[in-house]
Amino acid sequence: MDLISSILSITFLTQVFRMMTPYYFGANGANFSERGGVINISIEGFMNLSAFSFAMFGIISGNIFFSLLIAITINLIFSILFSWFTVKLKINQIIAGVGFNLFIAGLTKFLLMLIFGSSSNTHRFEGISDIDIFKKIPIIGGIVSDPLTLFCILLVFVSNFILYKTRFGLRLRSAGENPEAADTLGVRVRQYKFYGIMLSGILSALGGIWLASNQNSYSEGMIAGRGYIALAAMIIGKWKPVNIFFACLMFSAFEALEITLQISGTNIPTQLIQMLPYLITILVLIGFIGKTRPPAADGEAY
Amino acid sequence: MKAIEFNEITKSFGDFYANSGITFSINKNDVHCILGENGAGKTTLMNILYGIHKPDSGKLLINGSEVHFNSPLDAISHKIGMVHQHFMLIEDFSVLENVILGNEISEFDVIDFKKSREIINALIKKYRLNLNIECKISDLNISQQQKVEILKLLYRNSDILIFDEPTSVLSPVEIHEFFKIVDEFKSEGKTVIFITHKLKEVMEISDKVTVLSRGKVTFEKRTKDEGLDLSELSRAITGKEETHSDPENIKNDTEGEVVLTMKDICLFKDKLPKLKDFEIRLSRGEIYGVCGVEGNGQNEIADLIMGFENNYSGELIRLTKKVSIIPEDRNKKGMIKEYSIGENFVLKFKRNRYVSDNQVRKISEDVSQNFDVRLSSVDSDLDSLSGGNQQKVIFARELTADNDIIILMHPTRGVDINASGFIHKKILEERNKMKAILLISSDLDELIKLSDRLGVIYNGKIVKEFDKSELNRNYAEGQFSEKNPKNKFDIYEKIGMYMIGLADEE
Amino acid sequence: MAWLMKSKLMLNFISVALSLFTTILIVVLLLLIIGKNPVEIFSLVLSEIFGSGYGIGQVLFKATPLIICGCGIAVCFHASLFNIGAEGQLNAGSFAIALSAYYFGFLPFPILIICCTLAGFIVSGIFGLIPALIKIKKDVSEVITTIMLNFIILALINYFLVEFFAVKATMRTEKINDDDFLFKLSDYIPFFQGSSVNASFFIALAISVIFYLLIYKTTFGYKLRAVGFNQTASKYIGINTGKILLLSFFIGAGITSLVGLNYIFGYKGYYELGFSNNLGFTAIAVSLLAKNNPIGIILSSLLFAILDYGGLSVNQLVPKEIMLLIQGIIILSLLSIDKAVKIYFERKGMA
Repeated sequence: MDLISSILSITFLTQVFRMMTPYYFGANGANFSERGGVINISIEGFMNLSAFSFAMFGIISGNIFFSLLIAITINLIFSILFSWFTVKLKINQIIAGVGFNLFIAGLTKFLLMLIFGSSSNTHRFEGISDIDIFKKIPIIGGIVSDPLTLFCILLVFVSNFILYKTRFGLRLRSAGENPEAADTLGVRVRQYKFYGIMLSGILSALGGIWLASNQNSYSEGMIAGRGYIALAAMIIGKWKPVNIFFACLMFSAFEALEITLQISGTNIPTQLIQMLPYLITILVLIGFIGKTRPPAADGEAY
Repeated sequence: MKAIEFNEITKSFGDFYANSGITFSINKNDVHCILGENGAGKTTLMNILYGIHKPDSGKLLINGSEVHFNSPLDAISHKIGMVHQHFMLIEDFSVLENVILGNEISEFDVIDFKKSREIINALIKKYRLNLNIECKISDLNISQQQKVEILKLLYRNSDILIFDEPTSVLSPVEIHEFFKIVDEFKSEGKTVIFITHKLKEVMEISDKVTVLSRGKVTFEKRTKDEGLDLSELSRAITGKEETHSDPENIKNDTEGEVVLTMKDICLFKDKLPKLKDFEIRLSRGEIYGVCGVEGNGQNEIADLIMGFENNYSGELIRLTKKVSIIPEDRNKKGMIKEYSIGENFVLKFKRNRYVSDNQVRKISEDVSQNFDVRLSSVDSDLDSLSGGNQQKVIFARELTADNDIIILMHPTRGVDINASGFIHKKILEERNKMKAILLISSDLDELIKLSDRLGVIYNGKIVKEFDKSELNRNYAEGQFSEKNPKNKFDIYEKIGMYMIGLADEE
Repeated sequence: MAWLMKSKLMLNFISVALSLFTTILIVVLLLLIIGKNPVEIFSLVLSEIFGSGYGIGQVLFKATPLIICGCGIAVCFHASLFNIGAEGQLNAGSFAIALSAYYFGFLPFPILIICCTLAGFIVSGIFGLIPALIKIKKDVSEVITTIMLNFIILALINYFLVEFFAVKATMRTEKINDDDFLFKLSDYIPFFQGSSVNASFFIALAISVIFYLLIYKTTFGYKLRAVGFNQTASKYIGINTGKILLLSFFIGAGITSLVGLNYIFGYKGYYELGFSNNLGFTAIAVSLLAKNNPIGIILSSLLFAILDYGGLSVNQLVPKEIMLLIQGIIILSLLSIDKAVKIYFERKGMA
């Protein structure tokens, strides 16, 4: 059948890996925050913010590298603000997350209208271009030629190394597992929580940047719940960088499948596929599919 | 040579003075025991020494020079190490990760695991700790976890080692092992501070003893050099308590029906046995005292009777569903501290219905009069009351519910003398109203005074039951023969032997 | 203590006032930066809203769903439950209301609206029970499950609409009978000049009164708040905490469905995908701003409604989206200032 052959093609595989990029940046970012014990449900907002600022500065300056730096910096500022809320003032992390999501949604909508005079999208701009020489590599050429996707794949190993082999990782995890114990050993718990949140801000920025770059514009609502799917992937991946990677691949496969189905015009309802990531997450949480355990002191103020 | 000097250390939390003007010193290379009731200020003092709390006033000298600790980091840098009563371990980490955390050997932030392993394994070998450093903490038992804590101190080269009630969770064999390690520390010239409740251990291991009571030093003596004996020590701890007159304990002669029977009860929690072959019978009109070192299954008994715990084997027959509990931790379990007295009472109402403010106020007023709780306003929330008054309110609430079985857990812990006398009187009144009362406590005075029968629990099992006459005789003799306090000690020591499992063959 | 009660109220008042003041300050600065005249804009907003009955009516109309949904979320908040799933719950309930209103259109109006209310309440309530059950049985935080459920519910509604119920080429249900609409206030009070505010505004007020009585004046409410303050203690006092959690999630989620009454019976006559436009999240902000207090919820709903409608009236001068931004600023400044004020007074109290 046509459908099956299109799913089994390299094009499809390439699509899956590329679409995995924003999920993994978001999920891996959220994971750094949660490993430090801070639940960051404003990943959605952070991705939205960076997608917008990347597009805006890309259009204004015409320099992709500059706008990439600016977008990351803006996210960094917001994540510092978020850690000031949650770590310093000890405001409930969930509530702060909802607040940041609302605030960022309002901010981007306002600026979109103010600067581009549109309630739906910006003008088009040139996104980050593929690395041409990598395209020639057989099979995986389409995947690794996207610089952010390539970075994403490297990030799996880097994150794993940071979390489990470095002093920083050990201390960050101790802050999320048992801050009191860490404190009695002289670990500056709050400082590490700050770092964790900052990493989540930077990484989710890259996720938003990929989306805007891939679409060559910013449009209202373009994140479309990907930040929450990222959280779901983090949970299903049991807070481990490698597992999270596979969870993200599963979700991007769903997304690619959905698109393929829509194009092929079969009457399999795509809404039900859209629902899958969330449904699977709940089933995993209930314990139907494997067991999962968040960091012991996740969500608690210290 | 003095390792530590406390000089007029004072620390208060709100109105409560945990330490008031504590002055004493600890010699280098001594095993120094600190004793005292719960809430006497031992842990607070140790937390000050370890840099967790800052004293309000007073001086702390380490090796002769004054120090000001802002965090445990400062204490660690003065080679002070502490094993907390509740272990400070990260369950999901390996032994190795727990030990190195905070003092990692690393280059460019990358941890040198190979070197760390070598160092730690050498320590394990030297002190015969017998641990696998790759194991996760959650897979270790309590005694192994304690060894990890000790390993943490050794890894940090600590010279002054603080142990907060290290033996309360250990079995006799494990305690023996632990003491061997302490001996080794001493032979290496380290100083050991040892907080405990257990007098026999103090006699066995200590060089010097300091007793704290209500935030002050009340007794100090060198154990061997100055010939301290057990009875003197026990008087130092318990002697001054009887300042209020005891209520008369006269029991009705009528036999009450048995309302609670537990037989062959076994209960596992997290794969650990908490109760095994546990048996108890509780009748109306009696107070059954359960006595034991904390963590021997007392909480599980209460949870079983309350019906919070259902995964047990054995026979549990409750003839009534009307059970009240006065839990051991007032703040966490006993009350809604954001609520006023009356509002706390509303929670006992069975039917859902309209509750007016006046109704709530009326209850607050009644309770404040009948139970002698002084209030600045009828709307005061419980948070603004003293511990004793809070406990009275909880008592009033549970007694008013008029339930058949009443479980009391450490009912006078952290309560002032007047309130505790009042509470004891109320307990006896309830008994005489033919309630079935289960009194779980670690305060021997309280248990002997109130219990009609007393069961000693050890490792999840009642290992010995004393009946009233046995308790009475011994207690009366202890009371009346001032010249020979040894008598009083007899029953204490007898119970104590069972409590620590040294006499369980019967 | 009485003075303490007063001072707690006082603290809340101080922090709300301070954060509103801060917001105004930020907005003025923002307007100056983008080269607009704040005085002109503020006075335009005020004159548009309070200059005509129509403006006031529209504000009441926009406040209606916020009051209803805010109360629903506050029920959960009082039990210390974070219901992030109101967006999904209210959609499920409203969808049920619209469908039953259409298919049972033959029933006399009073019976119809009661049936629809029940249907909506139960459907939303059931979607509230799911996270509650998972929390009780599996000890999984309700935050993640409610977030996930939002997407599941919306996808399901999307599916049912497309496959079965939608009017062709739209994403909405069939319209209800013309004579099944709730009356508009302007039908009886000409002052409102044809504004959309309708009888469901009174339903919203009634809900906040019932909310007040239920939470503050009944045994159930005392128990619910007790569970919110301290679940362990509640258990030892003898409260069936599981039952309370289930009930508060059911009632809280159920209430959110009633926003559908305003949209379906009072305004459009049908359910449309996306009608809620993040109402479920905005209502969290409303409830927070109100400290979960019913009178506060009415006031903060009015404030948010003024912003919403005010945006439209200044759209010529500055994008109306500025009002969304202002809502965001209010919520962030309230969160931070509230906490900062508390920390400040605690320190002062200790010294």
